[in-house]
Amino acid sequence: MTSPSLGSPYPWQRELKSEERGLCLIHLLLTCANYVAAGNLENANIALEQISLLASSDGDTMQRIAAYFTEALADRILKAWPGLYKALYSTRISSVSEEFLVRKVFFEMLPFLKVAYVLTNQAIIEAMEEEKMVHIIDLNSSEPAQWIALLHVLSARPEGPPHLRITGVHQRKEVLDQMAHSLTEEAERLDTPFQFNPVVSKLETLDFEKLHVKTGEALAISSVLQFHSLLSSDDDFHRKKFSLESKNPNRVHSPGVLQMGQGTLGELLEKDMGKGYSPSPDSTSSSPLSPVGSVKMDSFLNAFWGLTPKIMVVTEQDSNHNGSTLMERLFEALYSYAALFDCLESTMSRTSLERMKVEKMLFGEEIKNIIACEGSERKERHEKLEKWIQRLDLAGFGNVPLSYYGMLQARKLLQGYGCDGYRIREENGCVLMSWQDRPLFSVSAWRCRK
Amino acid sequence: MGDLDLDNSSSLVGSTASGEATFSEPPAKKKRNLPGMPDPEAEVIALSPKTLMATNRFVCEICNKGFQRDQNLQLHRRGHNLPWKLRQRTTTEVRKRVYVCPETSCVHHNPTRALGDLTGIKKHFCRKHGEKKWKCERCSKKYAVQSDWKAHMKTCGTREYKCDCGTLFSRRDSFITHRAFCDALAEESAKAQTLGSSQLANPNPSPNAGKAVVVASPPPPPLTPSNNVVSPALSIQSSEFPENPVGLSPPPPATTCLTSTTTAISTTATTTTSTGNCSNTSTSVFASIFAPSTASQTSAAANSSYSNIVSSSAIPSASAMEPTSLSLSTSLYLSNNGSTLFPTADQQDHRQYVASPQAPAMSATALLQKAAQMGAAATSGSFLRGFGLATSSSPPQAQDSTTSLQWSNNSHSHQHKRDGSGGAAATVAAGLGASSALLTDLMMGPPVPFGVIISP
Repeated sequence: MTSPSLGSPYPWQRELKSEERGLCLIHLLLTCANYVAAGNLENANIALEQISLLASSDGDTMQRIAAYFTEALADRILKAWPGLYKALYSTRISSVSEEFLVRKVFFEMLPFLKVAYVLTNQAIIEAMEEEKMVHIIDLNSSEPAQWIALLHVLSARPEGPPHLRITGVHQRKEVLDQMAHSLTEEAERLDTPFQFNPVVSKLETLDFEKLHVKTGEALAISSVLQFHSLLSSDDDFHRKKFSLESKNPNRVHSPGVLQMGQGTLGELLEKDMGKGYSPSPDSTSSSPLSPVGSVKMDSFLNAFWGLTPKIMVVTEQDSNHNGSTLMERLFEALYSYAALFDCLESTMSRTSLERMKVEKMLFGEEIKNIIACEGSERKERHEKLEKWIQRLDLAGFGNVPLSYYGMLQARKLLQGYGCDGYRIREENGCVLMSWQDRPLFSVSAWRCRK
Repeated sequence: MGDLDLDNSSSLVGSTASGEATFSEPPAKKKRNLPGMPDPEAEVIALSPKTLMATNRFVCEICNKGFQRDQNLQLHRRGHNLPWKLRQRTTTEVRKRVYVCPETSCVHHNPTRALGDLTGIKKHFCRKHGEKKWKCERCSKKYAVQSDWKAHMKTCGTREYKCDCGTLFSRRDSFITHRAFCDALAEESAKAQTLGSSQLANPNPSPNAGKAVVVASPPPPPLTPSNNVVSPALSIQSSEFPENPVGLSPPPPATTCLTSTTTAISTTATTTTSTGNCSNTSTSVFASIFAPSTASQTSAAANSSYSNIVSSSAIPSASAMEPTSLSLSTSLYLSNNGSTLFPTADQQDHRQYVASPQAPAMSATALLQKAAQMGAAATSGSFLRGFGLATSSSPPQAQDSTTSLQWSNNSHSHQHKRDGSGGAAATVAAGLGASSALLTDLMMGPPVPFGVIISP
């Protein structure tokens, strides 16, 4: 969508300056979302149309955000007609090389992954002092730079490098092949003993046998932005407990209409398709006590605990995108992605095609998942750090504070980005990365508590 | 014993291949001297390095197969129907021979430390003064003597003993010694988990054996497992730096220690060099690390396990530090397809703030804050009040043109008043000025309240 044309029926739009346009977009978005949540699809449609005149994927930050959020809202509406939805999506081509590119750009241009890797590596190095056999399980093995750095440091150990084995898990074989190649080449160059074992699998269907964890080796697990997808579940069990909870006085949400609306929409859709379009387990307002148990997550954490890793480093988005209602999630996501889009705006030009690809294929897809999907389809269930801390603690893990030295390296890295919007701070031994004041990512390290 | 490439070459001992035993009675058992004490009557022989390192010097001209001894070559030649001749011992009594190492700096160069065995001296020479050509695939240990390598291959990777702390040993004695100190270690490590600002400043030489021990003279190369024995003896010695852990002579067994110090050194050195606030010589870096009361960030950066550094000594191989000091901050940084963790200079350039060519716009974050502020200010409590919650507890940064907003960050459960749709929309629209027309356009159909979910 391009900027408003001269012939638009709303001539005043021409005069909208960027700020006003931005504010307008925000209001329109919220209006539209309300309509969608309430099931008022006609008005939602009108709102979408209005937004389309102002939003643009190559405009300023707010225009871009609006573009992707409305795409997500439209996607949500469309899912009510699964036939239509499938027809539109069946001819999509997913390009592996594009995915590679987008990942690379995200890695290079924004510091979050690099900081996460630096902190992960440092925690591993410290945990593995004097270990001779080190086995690392990499739950989303796609960026060789992370382990290349580790190889360098380990090869320079005074007692000599350990025998290092990395088991990389990823859905795509090509990605793992690339990892294997880059890493083995580097290890050979450094002349250190190294082995890469690829495991082609989705995380949630991971067969732990394939990891070949041996007794006697020192195990480290690295999870970068992976755990949250394990919180998704088939919601049928939870649906009975949580749907239409407007009656529950303990739950903090706006009473009456919207919640009912959500339920109504859900029921409506269900009648249409017999599909459980239900609110997912709420992990926000029911808190203070404990995060909602997710069977899948718990069983994974138990399994990891059973492997007795020496160290497990978890990097996650630090936002609450797992609220049970659309509006909750939309609000949170607006803030988080506004920050992320601002990050991109500060480092890449508006005409950059790569930036647009990251916005569309990475952030846009996450937004779509948060807004448009429910149940087991909704994978981007980001949660705040305190929830993760509770969850990991319950699963028998003890926090290992990230070291001062790791923080130092991380800060240095951020300084190198030359952009003072990035913030990093330590809290309870964990690290939070923010843009301005908005926390975006957290890194924490854990060990098995016996 | 085989032939020696001496001027007056010699005797053979014991070969009976030709079937000619020159003795009528079984030869007397060879008398062995006590180890370390060569026979004073023995003839001292110094062979040339070439001889000592030589293998397979006797080559068959037909098939080019090499043999270590002439005898064996001769026997082989029989197979080709070539003329062959076996030499026999010239005398029944031979003078005992002992061998010294030709390398003058070597201990065994002294005749009182001569070795009695030719094979022994050959192996010694190769091990100590030769090039390590044999490498273990699994753990990349290197050996100069093939038989050493073979012996290692039998045990490499077949660990038998495992301590609770996870260390593996293939030898029982080293395992037991480690374990004795390891229990002490286990408690320490539970406390030492919190690495916060650490104690480089308290150089207490406690026998926290497992982790915190200090480098003995050259850092032990990846040697036989006995080196894993952790010894509480602490003495820092300067040493070569980690980039050539191999090829060094094994340290005297008593002080073999493992250390994490040099890691600290390399990492902390990296810190200082990379943060650029040291004078960029590695020696100064080390000095600051080793100084007990260093207040700089190098000290704090060290792990608690490094607290046992006792003395300060200048590290001679200052230059050797450079490569390792690069390891953390620049290794990834040597771009590997341009993917690095620490950006190099030119990458930084094109990552600079590119706002100038673009129309200056309010950041999205600022816009959201402003929208919330406007919403909060609106009298009829428009739906944007809900914005006032999710963000930080500290005052947000002043953006380009927004006023700073104070968020209500204590509001976890405030209910929100709902409005009639027209009222809310109108209010909000009024706040926006130009968009009022737009929003009123939307108000068709059944009114939808803009009630908002409060997100905690």
